[in-house]
Amino acid sequence: MSLKVTDLHARIPEREILKGLSIEIKPGEVHAIMGPNGSGKSTLSKVLCGHEDYSVTSGTAMLDGQDLLAMPVDARSRAGLFLAFQYPHEIPGVSNANFLRAAVKARLPDGEDLDAVAFYKQMYARMDQLEMDRSFTSRSLNEGFSGGEKKRNEILQLMMLEPKYAVLDETDSGLDIDALKIVARGVNAMRSENRGFLVITHYQRLLNYIQPDVVHVMMEGRIAMTGGRELALELEAKGYEWVQGDDRALAA
Amino acid sequence: MTLTPTLSTNAPQWFNDRAATAWQTFQNLPLPGIKDEPWRYSNAKRIPLDQLKPAASPSAELKAQAIAASSELTNTSARLVFVNDTLALTETSALPAGVICLPFEQALREQSDLVQKYFMQRIMQLGSDKFAALHLAHVRAGTVVFVPKNIIVEHPIEIFHWCSGEHAAIFPHTLIITGDNAKVSVVDHFRSLGDEQGFSCAVTDLVGGPGSQLTYIACQEMSMKAQAMQLASTVAERDASVKSFQLQLGASWSRSESVSDMVGKGSRSDMLSVSLPLGEQVVDQRTLQNHKAPNTHSDLLYKNALYDKSRSIFGGLITVDESAHFTDAYQTCRNLMNSPEAEANSMPGLEINADQVKCSHGSTSGPVSDEELFYLKARGIPDHEARRLIVMGFADDVIGRIGNEEIQAMIHARVEEKFAQVN
Amino acid sequence: MTARWLREIVEFNNKTSTVMTTTEDPSSISDIHVDNIGDFTFPERNKFDSGFGISSKTVDYICDVKSDPQWIRDFRHKALDVFNSKPMPTHWATKDLENIKFDQFRYYLSDGQKPKKSWDDVPDDVKRTFDRLGIPEQERKFLAGVEAQYDSEAAYSNIKAVVEEQGVIFANSTEALHKYPDIFRPWFGKVIPTGDNKFSALNSAVFSGGSFIYVPKGVKVKHPLQAYFRINSEQFGQFERTLIIADEGAELMYMEGCTAPKFETATLHSAVVELVAMKGAKIQYVTVQNWSSNVFNLVTKRGIAHEEAEVKWIDCNIGSRLTMKYPGVVMKGRKARGEVISIALANSGQHQDTGAKMIHAADETTSNVISKSISIGEGRATYRGLVHIPKHLKGCKNNTECDALLINTKSRTDTYPAISVRGNQHATQHEASVSQVSAEQIFYMQQRGLSEGEAMSLSVNGFINDLASQFPMEYSVELKRLIDLEMEGSVG
Repeated sequence: MSLKVTDLHARIPEREILKGLSIEIKPGEVHAIMGPNGSGKSTLSKVLCGHEDYSVTSGTAMLDGQDLLAMPVDARSRAGLFLAFQYPHEIPGVSNANFLRAAVKARLPDGEDLDAVAFYKQMYARMDQLEMDRSFTSRSLNEGFSGGEKKRNEILQLMMLEPKYAVLDETDSGLDIDALKIVARGVNAMRSENRGFLVITHYQRLLNYIQPDVVHVMMEGRIAMTGGRELALELEAKGYEWVQGDDRALAA
Repeated sequence: MTLTPTLSTNAPQWFNDRAATAWQTFQNLPLPGIKDEPWRYSNAKRIPLDQLKPAASPSAELKAQAIAASSELTNTSARLVFVNDTLALTETSALPAGVICLPFEQALREQSDLVQKYFMQRIMQLGSDKFAALHLAHVRAGTVVFVPKNIIVEHPIEIFHWCSGEHAAIFPHTLIITGDNAKVSVVDHFRSLGDEQGFSCAVTDLVGGPGSQLTYIACQEMSMKAQAMQLASTVAERDASVKSFQLQLGASWSRSESVSDMVGKGSRSDMLSVSLPLGEQVVDQRTLQNHKAPNTHSDLLYKNALYDKSRSIFGGLITVDESAHFTDAYQTCRNLMNSPEAEANSMPGLEINADQVKCSHGSTSGPVSDEELFYLKARGIPDHEARRLIVMGFADDVIGRIGNEEIQAMIHARVEEKFAQVN
Repeated sequence: MTARWLREIVEFNNKTSTVMTTTEDPSSISDIHVDNIGDFTFPERNKFDSGFGISSKTVDYICDVKSDPQWIRDFRHKALDVFNSKPMPTHWATKDLENIKFDQFRYYLSDGQKPKKSWDDVPDDVKRTFDRLGIPEQERKFLAGVEAQYDSEAAYSNIKAVVEEQGVIFANSTEALHKYPDIFRPWFGKVIPTGDNKFSALNSAVFSGGSFIYVPKGVKVKHPLQAYFRINSEQFGQFERTLIIADEGAELMYMEGCTAPKFETATLHSAVVELVAMKGAKIQYVTVQNWSSNVFNLVTKRGIAHEEAEVKWIDCNIGSRLTMKYPGVVMKGRKARGEVISIALANSGQHQDTGAKMIHAADETTSNVISKSISIGEGRATYRGLVHIPKHLKGCKNNTECDALLINTKSRTDTYPAISVRGNQHATQHEASVSQVSAEQIFYMQQRGLSEGEAMSLSVNGFINDLASQFPMEYSVELKRLIDLEMEGSVG
């Protein structure tokens, strides 16, 4: 049981971005990936989810033994993979509540109806945890949301869909400290021995609130270094340039 | 018919052949009727074709009079003055080397291949095939401009076309071609020397080469008894930016047809217009924005401030070809209604065949807002002055997009002068 | 993978078989079954048949069968002459009109049955068609009156006592012209003259079926009156004629739904609907239409709004090969209001050519047009609008918004409005936009586990959501169901 990525190579038509990336996240673990801009962090999250802009040229990605790369985008999601987007898309006209209902219903067995009362009860409880106003439910999905509102909405979806593995792509970007605390509280509430997290971030700050078990440093499309929580602090102090010169950096 | 043309003896054979064919075409084609969709709300019978005759050769005195009145811009690269389709003045010494800027007849003789390649190669798409043919059969005045690759012409080229004599018809032609990354601005003035009935039947072709920037301004200030027509086409090649602005102030009836074809990836066309019709003036404007390549951008803004019993007709269409993804196309027509008897007709259209397109059009017609007027008056501004400020602001919103302060100031002044005639 | 909290509830429900009542969000689409609509054809069972083609003999035949009074017979013959003399409007409309072969249609069919009094008497095959339409039983009960047209005659007609008690007349048009000539005749053909266009002339010559409604002064009909239309005979044109009169201060909502089984050869539908709203009256006319994709649907709809009256067309066009329909309002009295709310969906092989006509003919009249179209596959949606404000009037307002959504690269949308304003005492505003469902939007929703089709359907329903809510609730559900059906197979 794990989300296991092995020697993954992926590219856009112009160039290769992931150059042999390997990582394994077991249920109950929280992994952080840090790295400079352009190192391929966001690409990793999109490739795992099956974004069509990227083609995988070699390597594997397995979710609890299922071949992720062979599955369409929505099947990966239903298999238990969740991505909290860095830039959640605005979808005019589609209300948050209807969208979430459709997403939850997609996880029910065929012919099974969604119990609307139970759904709203659950959603309101989760929204309260995230200090979200009830009016969010009827607003169009992410449309006109502030940065903080969008991120909170991503975490609300995470809470409602209860994935096995959640990838948080720069969830801290654009958040003030109060919003960051609320978002982190939501994520921490979802930590469990049955769920793995991959937290992608540029800054160490987020990791003060979501404490990782393992920290990876990503450079040029690969994991360049892996360590414990202290690695994040070391990075913060010394900067990314230091990684390349350090003996702990993995051989290319 | 008094409009029968006489062929030029100096022109190349290809030109005389085309002119002869065009005369046949003109005679064979019926006059467009109001039932023809491109002529809805308008009326081609306003042009007294039976009475018109080619404008007579001007006297030396007439020429002198026109030249004296032919200066609007202080800083120009070149200045040409035509009176009744006859060249009266040409000053081109300030142009950078390599730039071709010739009176039409001279260009026909000296740059025959260049002219042949670009001269009236486009089919008319907005309903005036008959008048395009008439122009071709008669054209002998106008300007051919070619700016070679990488040459920037700093100051505008300013051209005047004067019309004089009762029922005189002139046929001004403007052909501008820019090479790769070249840049030029050209200003055409269409004017009457007296207050007689006359007719200007102009054709303008703009060809923006790759990466070039071409700005074209047409100021139509014919006599209030005259009729004016301008058939303009623009081709924008890869990454070219072509801006055209028309000022419609004169003539009892004017019609302009403007087609912009964005044929190169990343090309852009801005189509701008301001009119301020008074009395029983009719301003008829038809436009077509054709997006034929991906990542193209077009933006049209036409504004009419209508007074008295004047009428405006706007018929616009945006087309987006199947291949023209990532197109941004905008079309806006605004009519400011300043009298109980003014009339505005708008037909803003879209035909979209591609996806990943951002496309919108808007059309509004309404009076000066009471709140705006009240606000100004509450600051002690008298009614007429308040209205002037609002109308000039309405026009300046378009004028400000020209991007050349001297031209903007000149046009602003022309509009102010027209506004002074408002009762 | 199902969320735990949900799994628990599902298990609980399975154990106890409890059906929980819910307070559903009416705009939700997630609880709709779509498997009971589709192709359906039933055996033809026609006692009267006018044969193929149209001539004065056809007209006489129809008059004889229907025992028309002489003035209707004269009206029909005059209309036939107008129809024959008018050219096809192909100088502005699509050339596809030329593919209509008028001599290959039958212009009158009836199963010879008198209108039924109760639901129990309705033939089973007709009932089955309604089942296929997916109209729930309780909804039918909710309806105040049903005027369901089976081919050209009403197969079922039932007016609830409560409506009759209010003095409302709800009859099919054939019955009405015999029984209520005093009310019927003065307004018949007055809102839409025979010669308005070629197809209104055709309808005037061969009309049969359709509804007649008269709502007396001050009567406000609480429940919507409803009729379902369908075409069920191959090569058969349906020419229903509807006339609704709301007397001073009366209010009424009328709903029509159209759906047709699929046939191999082209079918022609050409209705005329006339509405008259007297002083202070309100009429809302709701259409949800889903013709099969070989139907030519050429409909003329217009209402007259007298002083302070309101006529509102709520129109949804799905299906058909070609629909041409521009509901209009003539605002004849001071402060009259006209409104058109329109949703069109054009799939491959379909052309929805729809719009609105707003004729301002009195001071301080206001009109509003909101049109949304969706083009899928190789579908084409066209908006044509006309707004006319003459100069002797003052204080008129028009607002027009048209938005188009494109789903695939091969789909097409056109907008051709015409707005004429005279004078400085009016305000008009027209806005149109074209957009599409972006790949990133679909990816986002797929990442949450929705299939591409579901994601697309959600986006499309989102696009029309604000308009769909203007439809009566059961219609807005049906509408979304129809759109979902159309969206199937449009992605990928």
